[in-house]
Amino acid sequence: MKRRKNFMQAYRQTPWRKQVQIIGLFSAVLVVVTTGAGVYLQVTAQAATLGREIQFMQDEKQQLQQLIEDQQSELARLTSAHAMEARALDMDFEPANPSAAMYVVVPGYAGRQPAALAPHPRLGGAGDIVLPPAYTMTLFDWMAGLYRVFTLQPEGGS
Amino acid sequence: MKLENRWRFNLMGTVFLMVTIVIFGQLVRLQNTPQAQSFLEQSSLYAGTWEVVNAPRGQVYDRWGKLLAGNRTVYEVGVVLANVEDAQAIAFAVNAVLEDDYERVLELVSIPASEEAIYAMIADNVPAEKVDLLNDYMEERQAAIAAGETPDGPSLAGLEFRPHLARSYPEDALASTLLGFVGQDKDGIQGYFGIEQYYDELLAGNSREVWLPNDPNRVEELPDIPPGTSLILTIDRELQASVETILDEALEEHGAEAGTVVVMDPKTGEILALASAPRLNLNEFWDFEEIFPGETPFNRAVSKSYEPGSVFKVITMASAIDAGVVEPQTEFFDTGSIQVGGITIRNWDQRAWGEQNMVGCMQNSLNVCLAWVSKEMQADLFYDYLQRFGFGHTTGVDLAGEATGRLKEPGDGDWYPADLGTNSFGQGIAVTPMQMVMAISALANEGQMVVPHVVRALVDGDSQYEVHPQFSASPITPETARIMTEMLAETLENEASRALVPGYRVAGKTGTAEIPTEGGYKRDITNTSFVGWGPVDDPQFIVYVWLESPSSSIWGSVVAAPVFSQVVTRLVVILNLPPDSVRLALSPEEAEQR
Repeated sequence: MKRRKNFMQAYRQTPWRKQVQIIGLFSAVLVVVTTGAGVYLQVTAQAATLGREIQFMQDEKQQLQQLIEDQQSELARLTSAHAMEARALDMDFEPANPSAAMYVVVPGYAGRQPAALAPHPRLGGAGDIVLPPAYTMTLFDWMAGLYRVFTLQPEGGS
Repeated sequence: MKLENRWRFNLMGTVFLMVTIVIFGQLVRLQNTPQAQSFLEQSSLYAGTWEVVNAPRGQVYDRWGKLLAGNRTVYEVGVVLANVEDAQAIAFAVNAVLEDDYERVLELVSIPASEEAIYAMIADNVPAEKVDLLNDYMEERQAAIAAGETPDGPSLAGLEFRPHLARSYPEDALASTLLGFVGQDKDGIQGYFGIEQYYDELLAGNSREVWLPNDPNRVEELPDIPPGTSLILTIDRELQASVETILDEALEEHGAEAGTVVVMDPKTGEILALASAPRLNLNEFWDFEEIFPGETPFNRAVSKSYEPGSVFKVITMASAIDAGVVEPQTEFFDTGSIQVGGITIRNWDQRAWGEQNMVGCMQNSLNVCLAWVSKEMQADLFYDYLQRFGFGHTTGVDLAGEATGRLKEPGDGDWYPADLGTNSFGQGIAVTPMQMVMAISALANEGQMVVPHVVRALVDGDSQYEVHPQFSASPITPETARIMTEMLAETLENEASRALVPGYRVAGKTGTAEIPTEGGYKRDITNTSFVGWGPVDDPQFIVYVWLESPSSSIWGSVVAAPVFSQVVTRLVVILNLPPDSVRLALSPEEAEQR
């Protein structure tokens, strides 16, 4: 007991030990704050970088949409009725004459089909995505289902 | 710590504390000054911008998927006023490249920059080629500055180009009266005439105003704004081009003022081609007022009603046969005139044609005979049939600006008993070509009248929705339709009409109608028409031709009938319709049935 008392007194009477204690505490706080700030900066910088990337991608998406529209229009212009007719005439083609045309029956050929630019809407078709009930049911639905299962009376048979 | 140094530490601590208090005090004060709100507003100016994101306008295709109306990138050219270094240089460059008025541009560019005046728009819908000229020059200059050089030439700093999509018509004037165009007025961008106006809301899609923050930490994904609905039309681009060429050549050959040709599938109501002249290059829609001055209708096929003349006899005769009033062999002795409602009606050549039957009446286009037929029917029954054929009402075709025409009936203030006679041969009644085509579809489609339409399918998102044929009414029986078709095929063959098409049996009727003026009808100014359909045993097309005020001849049989023949000659090739003999030989069962 006496030895402990002497040790504590000696410790209090040694100023550098107290300074070490204060510096240690300060350093610990500093390290925690610096680490926190570092992590915050890192996350913020990443978020900002990703934000800029999103902005760039949005711009790029818009430019690509415009480019697609431009190229579709340009393609249509290059293959317009008058352009194609002029090219055909340049290549010495001439409009078909009904009397010169030869008609042949091709079994199974249904003739030229009108444009289908997208599939027809289907109601409950094979390709539709069906979510399992577990993804849509509420907790109450689930418990009610369990209750029904446990209270279901097996049918009697003879 | 020595006691003599403690006051220094206390002093330093007090100084730091005071500075901290002053800084916090100042922060609190700034938050509550009268200018605080202004500072907040200023900061919000740099936080981001609200921008309207327009959905790309839906595209328009022909029945085979050929693009008729798409979009292309154009630019809004403007200046950020605070960045302008040389206003005169910008005005000069814009004047040289965009051919815009120098003084106007200089005035705009010289506006002093302020909180209210940040940006000035100089021009819109500028094509990429022109913007590239200006942009290249600016980029060269910018590169020189970046390389530390002093660039030659004036500065265009401040000039900005903002891209956006605008309507583009790759076929220029092809099918222009059917398509309409897209323009901009005080209410914004909208469609005018034709498909563009009728389906404007569908094509335009939904635009949305979105917040675009400058702070990348606040950036969010832009909402996905789907493009407007695309339309697949019923028209065949090649047929449309051919019909327009034939129409234009006919107008030139016969010196006609204007013209219309409508080609329809009588079984489905699909409009296969619709040509009307004059036409507009849709990429230069600003010429509209020059080409269509005053009340000139944009699409004569649906917007202009006229007295059809003798083509209307088809309707009168079909009604009378269907009502059992006459039969094809019913005899009529033509004396050259007939009194109806107090007026005397005469034939087109003022002659008496003597003994005739109904086939002869149609073949010789006798006004007197048809007036007698309508008298035999009596007014109530006659007008009941005209109502059933849809006259006096719009057809419901999906094109903007459809006119109703004018059908006067007993009980109307302006109807007189004489109208019963004149209406029977297409005078005193106003119809549109589209109304005539719809009415005639009953004759070419077993008595069932179809609603004409120009949209075959709508493409919305990932799905295509088909437009199904709609039947309007059955004004006559299938038997009447067959009798009339046979009768009119026979009349064309008997008179060796110029409408005949080698290899194909067609039915039809010419029309020549004097045009009513303030001084009455004038014999030398006429509307010439022809309506025909075929092949007679299984009609696949109706073609309606109308040429206005031709100068080479006043007769429909001379002017309009050959146009019908030319159109059908091209049509059968484009639609893959073999000659009757080939078709019947290839389908023996069909031949046997007939």
